[in-house]
Amino acid sequence: MDITSSLAAVALIALIHASFQLSVSVLTLLGSHTIGARMSHKKVLSLISSYVLGATTMTLLIVSFAALIFLQAFGTEVPLMAWAIACAVVLGIGVAVWLFYYRKGAGTSLWISRGFARHLTSRSQKTTHPTEAFSLGLTSVIGELVFIIPTVVLSALILIGLPGGWQMAGLGVYTLFSLLGLLVVWALIGSGYSLSKVQKWRETNKRFLQFSSGGALIVLGFFVYVAKVAAEVAGVMS
Amino acid sequence: METGGTHIIKRHKRHGIEAFSKEKLQKSIVAACLSAGAPHGQAEIVARHVAESVEEWLEDRPEVTSSDLRLATAKQLKKYHADAGYLYEQHRMTI
Repeated sequence: MDITSSLAAVALIALIHASFQLSVSVLTLLGSHTIGARMSHKKVLSLISSYVLGATTMTLLIVSFAALIFLQAFGTEVPLMAWAIACAVVLGIGVAVWLFYYRKGAGTSLWISRGFARHLTSRSQKTTHPTEAFSLGLTSVIGELVFIIPTVVLSALILIGLPGGWQMAGLGVYTLFSLLGLLVVWALIGSGYSLSKVQKWRETNKRFLQFSSGGALIVLGFFVYVAKVAAEVAGVMS
Repeated sequence: METGGTHIIKRHKRHGIEAFSKEKLQKSIVAACLSAGAPHGQAEIVARHVAESVEEWLEDRPEVTSSDLRLATAKQLKKYHADAGYLYEQHRMTI
């Protein structure tokens, strides 16, 4: 793949990451609690901005860590077996997202450990300092790690094939696109938009988001399998 | 301020049982109203009305779970401020 195609692929993969909802849920709760606690608009903005900064930092760290591991393991030439395993992971988690992402019933409860969900709910309620909001942002990205593994792995595999400077650009592209959902909610809360409307929209469209996230992962898995694994195997055999 | 003899059974055993507190309920309703964009004054008035209605509902109930209390409060709150009632109901279902 040339540089432009690689960056476009990373951006598309990051959009799938953006469709996962844990960070958005925590941001909605944080916004709700801070406004409900009669904090000034400046304070609310400072807390939600610190939260988004925390999520940005952790996304950058996770993708660059994965890229570093792959670079150490494979160099800049990724073996066929690694692409095949990555495709299996992407397809498997795509099906899992279709089946399990949201819990049954009302609301937008996700299929994550209830203890962890309670921890995030209670932390978002107790957060009053930007440092706490920043660490909540870091934690929320770790919380959805199980769902973002496929997008992180594929992006890291693409990034290590790019020249040095472009790897940093790719990292930036991934982070920016993966945070689009969060940035939209940040802008809505910052501009005083009703949180109940945000939550209603999320609840109404949750099955569509689940279908599109899982479907996008499955399509991505097939695409990478055909473009990388099958194409190379066919090339060797012909 | 504690009212009546109603006890609230918390969702998790380690939090045990606590006496119903009208003041605590009112605070949580005010927070939901403010989150939904209601002005402070309106939030206070709505919270007082809803807390009174919930207190009446609790009169013949010596024990209720915190989930039942939340549902009953959200139901009353929706009569005064639909968005606030919705946010109140969603609190434990967002993540």
